[in-house]
Parts: sequence; C-alpha cells; structure tokens
Amino acid sequence: MSAAAATAVQVDDDLWAAIGDPTRRRLLDLLIGQGEGTATTLGRQLPVTRQAVAKHLAVLDRVGLVRATPAGREKRYRVDDVQLARAVATLSSVGSSWDARLQRIKRIAEAIQRNQESDRQSDQRQ
Amino acid sequence: MEFESIEREIYVEASPEIVFGVVSSPDHLREWWPDEARFEPVPGATGELRFGDPDAGGKLVAFSVVDVRPPRRFSFRWAHPAGEVAREGNSLLVTFDLTPSGGGTLLRMTETGFRRLGWEDAVLEHEYQEHVVGWDYFLPRLAPYAARLAVRP
Repeated sequence: MSAAAATAVQVDDDLWAAIGDPTRRRLLDLLIGQGEGTATTLGRQLPVTRQAVAKHLAVLDRVGLVRATPAGREKRYRVDDVQLARAVATLSSVGSSWDARLQRIKRIAEAIQRNQESDRQSDQRQ
Repeated sequence: MEFESIEREIYVEASPEIVFGVVSSPDHLREWWPDEARFEPVPGATGELRFGDPDAGGKLVAFSVVDVRPPRRFSFRWAHPAGEVAREGNSLLVTFDLTPSGGGTLLRMTETGFRRLGWEDAVLEHEYQEHVVGWDYFLPRLAPYAARLAVRP
C-alpha cells in the first residue's frame, strides 16, 4: 500500500472510531437538527454529563465532523457538511460493494442455468 | 443513524441448487469476490480469502464457515483477527438465504457485526476492496468467465 493510501486509511480509521460511538452519533443528530449547540445545551438533551459531552465533541472536532467557534467560556459547534457527506458516502459504499457482488452472483448463476438448459435441449435433439 | 447491518435481496433466474453452488463453493466465490478462496464448505471449517498480492499491498482475510444447508442457507464469518476463533464480536457474519420463487431463486444477503467491530475493521475491508480490487478490477475478469460459461460444449 502506498504512503498516500496508508494515510487515507488512517484518517478513515479515526473517522469510523468517531462515528462508531452511539453518544457521538446522537450528538451529530442533535447538531444536524438544531444547526448548532454547546456542551451545555447538548448535555441537557442527553443522559450524560456536560463534561462527557465536551469530550465527545472534541473527538468529533478532531476528525473534522464538527467545527467549533468560541462562545463566551464555551465553544459553539456546527456540523461540517462536507466531512459528514464524505462519511455518509463511505458508509453507503459498504452497501454498494455488496450490490456489485450480488449482481455478479446473479450473472454467474443465470449463465450456468442457461447453459444447463441449452445442454438439455441439445441432448433431446440427439 | 443505524449501521448495524446490511441487508440485500436479489432475484436470480436460476435454480436454488445453482445459486447455492455460486455463493458457497470456493471456485465460484473467487469469480465474484476475492482473488483466492480457500475453505471447505462444511460447518466449522476455517480458511482464508486473499485479496490482491500479499507481497504488493494485498491481504489475507480469515474466513470461517458457520452454516451449510443446501440449497437453502450458507453463512460464514470473516475479517476476524488471524489465529482467533471467529465469534460474535470479532468478525462479520454473512448469511445467504435462498428461497425458490417462480422459476428462479430469491437470494437474501445479510451482513451483521459492524457495530461490535466499531466499524474500523469492517470499513477498512470494504474500502480496500472497493478502491484497490473494486469493480474496475473485477469487470475485465468477469466478462471472459461469463463468456466461457455461455459457450456450449
């Protein structure tokens, strides 16, 4: 694997670790729905402490899924649409890789079936 | 957002016996997925899939047969760490269910285990195949294979 590919994989690894946690996915859902939030406003809506929310937001910030701007003593977070779109596209590629495999399974099985049928027909003619 | 499993369904105009052979035999598996598949299609058998050339960035992936009920079900676990026994929590479980339908077969595929893997390993595997040995790589191999099958003996 080239150095560039290895770096891309490392970035994705962090991205999936970030999105793999249910609390962080819930935070993303809240931020998408509300446009923005702070550890305090988001913490009120989740069964975890404000400190825990702040840590989760920092993880999301590190992989670029959210962007922070200073808001008094806190930070205000928004979703990074580009990075989120990229994450969603990669997730759907897991599904599309199975779509491609199943299409190949279908073609191979149907070719075998047609072959057997044409073999039978030529046997009957003989 | 829920990413626990992938479910797909496809209608195949071939008998369940034929479809079962295509999804479960190592010889056929490498025509639609890895470059090489080594396993006995019997429950509990372990083996491996090879993607690309391991000396040139490719990799070997563990494979373990779970259930073999021709021509109705074939399931396996994959992507567990080499040397570990495949189980829930360290691998992805793929199940093919085949149902006779009309003159052909309804093929259902379910892949589960992403949540437990924390996604990293699962997505790495899929990413690897999509980008390194993806469609562009499979297509040129598939056409000659399909042509061979279509030639009458």
